[in-house]
Amino acid sequence: MSTLGPTQREFLAALFARAEPRDPGLAVYRRTVLANLGGALAGAFPVVRRLVGDAFFSEAARRHALDIPSTSGDLGEYGAEFARFLAGYSPAGGLEYLPGVARLEWALHESHRAAPAQRLDFGALARVPDNRRTAIRLLLHPAVRLVRSRHPVLAIWQANQPDRDGTPDRAAGADHVLVHRPDLAAGAQPIDEREWAFLAALRRGGALEEAAAAFPDPEAIGPALARMAAMGVFCGFEEPAPA
Amino acid sequence: MAGIGLRAPHYEELLRRAPALDFVEVHSENFFAAGGAAPSWLESFRAAYSLSLHGVGLSLGSADPLDERHLARLHALVRRFEPMLVSEHLCWSSYGRRHANDLLPLPYTEESLAHVCARVERVQDHLGRSILVENVSSYLQLPGSAIPEWEFVAEVARRSGCGVLLDVNNIWVSAQNHAFDPYRYLDGIEAGSVGEIHLAGHEAQPDGLLVDTHGSVVAEPVWALYEAAVARFGPRPALVEWDTDIPALDVLLAQARRADLIAARVARQAA
Repeated sequence: MSTLGPTQREFLAALFARAEPRDPGLAVYRRTVLANLGGALAGAFPVVRRLVGDAFFSEAARRHALDIPSTSGDLGEYGAEFARFLAGYSPAGGLEYLPGVARLEWALHESHRAAPAQRLDFGALARVPDNRRTAIRLLLHPAVRLVRSRHPVLAIWQANQPDRDGTPDRAAGADHVLVHRPDLAAGAQPIDEREWAFLAALRRGGALEEAAAAFPDPEAIGPALARMAAMGVFCGFEEPAPA
Repeated sequence: MAGIGLRAPHYEELLRRAPALDFVEVHSENFFAAGGAAPSWLESFRAAYSLSLHGVGLSLGSADPLDERHLARLHALVRRFEPMLVSEHLCWSSYGRRHANDLLPLPYTEESLAHVCARVERVQDHLGRSILVENVSSYLQLPGSAIPEWEFVAEVARRSGCGVLLDVNNIWVSAQNHAFDPYRYLDGIEAGSVGEIHLAGHEAQPDGLLVDTHGSVVAEPVWALYEAAVARFGPRPALVEWDTDIPALDVLLAQARRADLIAARVARQAA
C-alpha cells in the first residue's frame, strides 16, 4: 500500500496550517519555509517593502505564503500573485497605489529573467512590399512588459530607489510604463498612452495596421515606431501567410 | 583549495580577486532564468573555475510525478555549462503542485527507497550522466521510518548508481536530533560512492534541537567528523556553504583552507 503520497500531503497541510505547529521539529520547518518564501518576496519587491516597512512586509509575506502556494521549485518564479494578494489584503487597504507598484516590480523581475533576443532587422522590414507592410505583426522582445496604473507608480518606484528619499516627483495621475531589458539590467520608463496602447495591441497579437489605430494622428506613428525600435522593444516580425 | 558555495554577495569580489579554489558550487535554480545577469555571471564563473551545480528544488523524493519542466531547465544548464559535478538532495520539497521550497525529510521505508531510486535513475537517464545525492539534516522522524538513514543513503547509491554528496554537518545535526552515532553513519557509506563532502554551520535552539542554518562557521565536532570522513573515504572535493548572514568572502576562504589543512594532515598520517 502506498503511504508516501498521503504522508507528504499531511506534512504540507500541517506545514501551512493556520495554527502554529506544536511539534518542535515541524515548527523548525515552518519557520524555515516561511523565511525562504518571505526572503524571495523581499528580493523581488524591494520598493513595496520600503513603502510599508519591514514588519508590515514580513507579516504580509507570511499571510501570502500561507494562502497562496508556491508552484515552482525555482524561487525566482515565486511572487507572481503578490500584487493581486496585496489588492485584497485589508491591512494595506489605505495604500491604493501599492498593488500597482507591486505589479511594476514583478514586471521588472520577469523582465530581468527573460530570454535574450535579437533586435528587429530593419533591412528585412524594409524589404517587405509596401502593400503588405500594414499586415505584418511586430514581435515584442521577450523582456518587454507593459504596466499601467491610475496611480503614479513609476514616480513612486523611482522615488524609492536606494539613492532617493522616497518623495515622488508626481503625487497623482496615471502612469503608463514600459519595462524592458535591452542589455543585462531591466529598467522602467514612462511612455505615452498612445504608445502603451500600440504595444499592448501588438502584445495581443494584433497586426501593425490594427495596433496603429492607437495613434489618432497617422503622422505620429513613424517617429514613435522608430523611437521604440531604437530602444530594442521589437525583436522581429511575422508576415501573414499569403491568402 | 577546497571549494565554496558561491552566493550573490560574493560574485563580483570572487571574479576580481580570483582566489585559488578547486571549484565553486552554485544552486542550480539560481541560474534557471533564460536571460539577464544570472547566466552571464555563471559564464564568468565557469571561465575561471570548475563548476558544481547543486539543485535544491527538483524534489527527488516527492510521490507525485517528477517536474519535467524543472528537469528540462536543469538539463539545459548542464549542457551549457558542463559542470564537473551535478547534485540534488535526498529529500522531497513539493507534493500536488504545492512547493515548500525546503528540504523535507523522507520516511525511510522500502517504498521510499524504491521510489527515490527510480527517480534518480530517471534523472540520470535524462541528464545523460550520474548525479550525487546529498543527505539532508532533519528535525523530526516520520512515522514508519524503519531503515537507518545511512543504510538508506548507501542503498540509493548502490541501486541507482548515483554518488553520495556527504554533508557531514547534516550528519552531525541529525545525529544530535535523533540520537544516533554519526561515526556509525560514516561506516555505513561505501567509500567509492562518495563524490563530494559538504561543510556548513548550524545553530542550537533553546530546546536543544540543532538547526542547519548555514549561518556560522563550521562547528568543532563537525570538523572532527570531517577528518574521520577523509580518513575513511580518502580526499574528496570539499565545499563550505554559507547561506544566511553571509560573511566576508575571506571568512569562507579561511574555512575552505581549514578543510584543506585537515585533508593534508590525514594524508600525512596515512603515509
